[in-house]
Amino acid sequence: MKKKYRNPIGVKSYTGLLLILPFIAGFILFTAYPFISSFLLGLTDYNGIRSPEFIGGENYSRMLTDKGFINATAVTLKYTAILVPLKLIFSLFAAIVLNMQIKGMGVYRTIFYIPSILGSNLAVVIMWQFLFTADGLANQLLEAVGLSPIGWYGNSAAAMGIIILLRLWEFGSTMVIFLNALRDIPKEYYEAARVDGCGRIRGFFAITLPLLKNVFFLNLILQIIAAMQEFNAPYMITGGGPLKSTYTLGMLVYDEMFSYHNMGYANAISWVMFVIIALIVGIMTAVTKRGRAEI
Amino acid sequence: MKKLILIAAALGCLISLSACENRKSQITAPDGKLDKCTLRFSWWGGDDRHEATLDAIELWNERHPDITVIPEYGGWDGWTEKITAQLSGGTEPDIIQINYDWLISFSQDGKGFYDLNLLSDRIELDNFDSEILQFGQVEGKLNGIAVSVSGRGLFYNSETYKRVGAEYPTNWTELISLGEKFSSHGLYPLDLDAQSGGTAWYLAVVYVQQKTGKQFISLDGKLGFTEEDIKMALDFYKTLEDNKVIRTVDIRTDEDGTAALYQSPEFIQGRIGGVLEWGSSVGKYEMSLSEGVLEAGALLSDENGNNGGWMVKPSLLYTISANTDYPDEAAEFLNFILNDGEAAKVLGTTRGIPASHTAEKSLEESGLLTGLAEENDRLLDELDTVTISPYMELAQMKSFYNSAIEQISFNAVSTEEAAREMYFSINDYLERIKK
Repeated sequence: MKKKYRNPIGVKSYTGLLLILPFIAGFILFTAYPFISSFLLGLTDYNGIRSPEFIGGENYSRMLTDKGFINATAVTLKYTAILVPLKLIFSLFAAIVLNMQIKGMGVYRTIFYIPSILGSNLAVVIMWQFLFTADGLANQLLEAVGLSPIGWYGNSAAAMGIIILLRLWEFGSTMVIFLNALRDIPKEYYEAARVDGCGRIRGFFAITLPLLKNVFFLNLILQIIAAMQEFNAPYMITGGGPLKSTYTLGMLVYDEMFSYHNMGYANAISWVMFVIIALIVGIMTAVTKRGRAEI
Repeated sequence: MKKLILIAAALGCLISLSACENRKSQITAPDGKLDKCTLRFSWWGGDDRHEATLDAIELWNERHPDITVIPEYGGWDGWTEKITAQLSGGTEPDIIQINYDWLISFSQDGKGFYDLNLLSDRIELDNFDSEILQFGQVEGKLNGIAVSVSGRGLFYNSETYKRVGAEYPTNWTELISLGEKFSSHGLYPLDLDAQSGGTAWYLAVVYVQQKTGKQFISLDGKLGFTEEDIKMALDFYKTLEDNKVIRTVDIRTDEDGTAALYQSPEFIQGRIGGVLEWGSSVGKYEMSLSEGVLEAGALLSDENGNNGGWMVKPSLLYTISANTDYPDEAAEFLNFILNDGEAAKVLGTTRGIPASHTAEKSLEESGLLTGLAEENDRLLDELDTVTISPYMELAQMKSFYNSAIEQISFNAVSTEEAAREMYFSINDYLERIKK
């Protein structure tokens, strides 16, 4: 006779639910509740103290003529469009270099990953800020090689460059994902290609890149999401300047929420941010679907 | 069907939860007793204020071992945001140092903070002049008590001026003429900021108020300047930059990043010869230099000796949270830091010259009523000052000023265009918040 399994907890049909309850509770409390609340608050005039007053879609229509919002959206999209491709290319390059069979490679990999562990914590951001002041290390290096110093904070492009450089410097996690995928590609593919007369560069485009498509897509999406929500670096390093050229949507939400006490408007902007990110990710998924399915 | 009902019920719960407020529906009434408890007290400021306040708390804790006071403090940058988050969540400290404009932001109906009139048994309100108490009145409720009344004054680095061989200016023309003189030494006679402090716009407002006799924004929140007046203020600012009296925004951000002026290496190393600061907060600048280097200078006038237009306001106020569980105990502590003679000696003039008569007397008797805050107060007393409108200090208003200053500094727009934009934005905003 088949032995019947006895559930130690005793509530057979609910055991599964019970086991995932901590996660579900956390999800409802810290994700679903704020998510829905923020949508509801986006439909109100709310300063955080008085009771929210329902105003329908007024916050959303205000965005259409709000120069601050339009500028912040343009800045965020520009930042994302520059940073993400650069970071992906740079991380992939670093991953390929670190995938080579050299003695002590583990040490190199660790060193390359350190900036990502440091992240953009306050100390790093402050250090970054001082690197680019008028007589900071960056200008000293420029002068040492005979170039004229740059006014990093007074120039829109240079100020954006500082923030992009900080994020590029933190390429570790993207690189690790690439590195992992690279190690999964069987060496036999390259050996067989070499026998057929295929060089290193051709091998990269004909074997490596096609096999990295999915991972490339994953990194692309993760980086877009992170870049669209950028806040820390411009807030701490440039303060959004000069002339709001590094003032991102994240900073706008923060200012509207905590400085100007327009909490309804801030929540509405967050939702627009969410929709923009979802749209970009949706379009990317649709565009790359065929290519990824071929693997 | 069961599932549908469950989902609907869950959504209903979420919606009702999100609409619920984190604040108490009814304040805790005073019970006339002092119970054992822990109170939180928050303030912003520089190191001089932090050290003195921590010493005062220590004195309190010695005297009242049953009522422990926990300090929460930091610099001004980001402080409003922190308090906003606390007030929205109903987790603010029991006793709070607040800025003048917060009464508008957080307590338009007078219910945002405790009505201190209810605690007048414990707080000696007769220690304050009625005009001082008036600053904290909102809709018939006493929402705050002004610690001191202060205005921004000009403070100079005596060593920098000595190096150049210059005298402190007494009028606008003298100030402007100093630019060239200092510039030949690679120095500046003054500097203003276009960040959270917003001293750039402040000085420009003083200049126009003095020239026109108008008030920039009235106490009840009406814009008193015309578009032309705003243009005049922006032109004045540009003149200061063009004549190298102050650094341009470009140079300032390049040299300092986002650091506040008192933390700027340029100021600390003496390249900046002067600053515009509240008498109640100048201590943080003083601490960055050697003792006695910073000196108060004349509040500038025009060539005819007209020295109007300079402004004063309650430099800061103390209030008690409407959510506190311990109003008696909080009031007792508030009375201690406002009116206690010993506490006054410990606190000194780190929040300006105390508005409380007993605190001021205590400082006077112990010879502590000296220093830059006192000198600045004396200079302001000699003038026909204007009381600043709390509306002028709102964060959103500061963003309009700073944005205009930044744009004309970078020559992105003309002063005329910037003035038009600022005039429209201010009017629109003032109308919106008073709805």
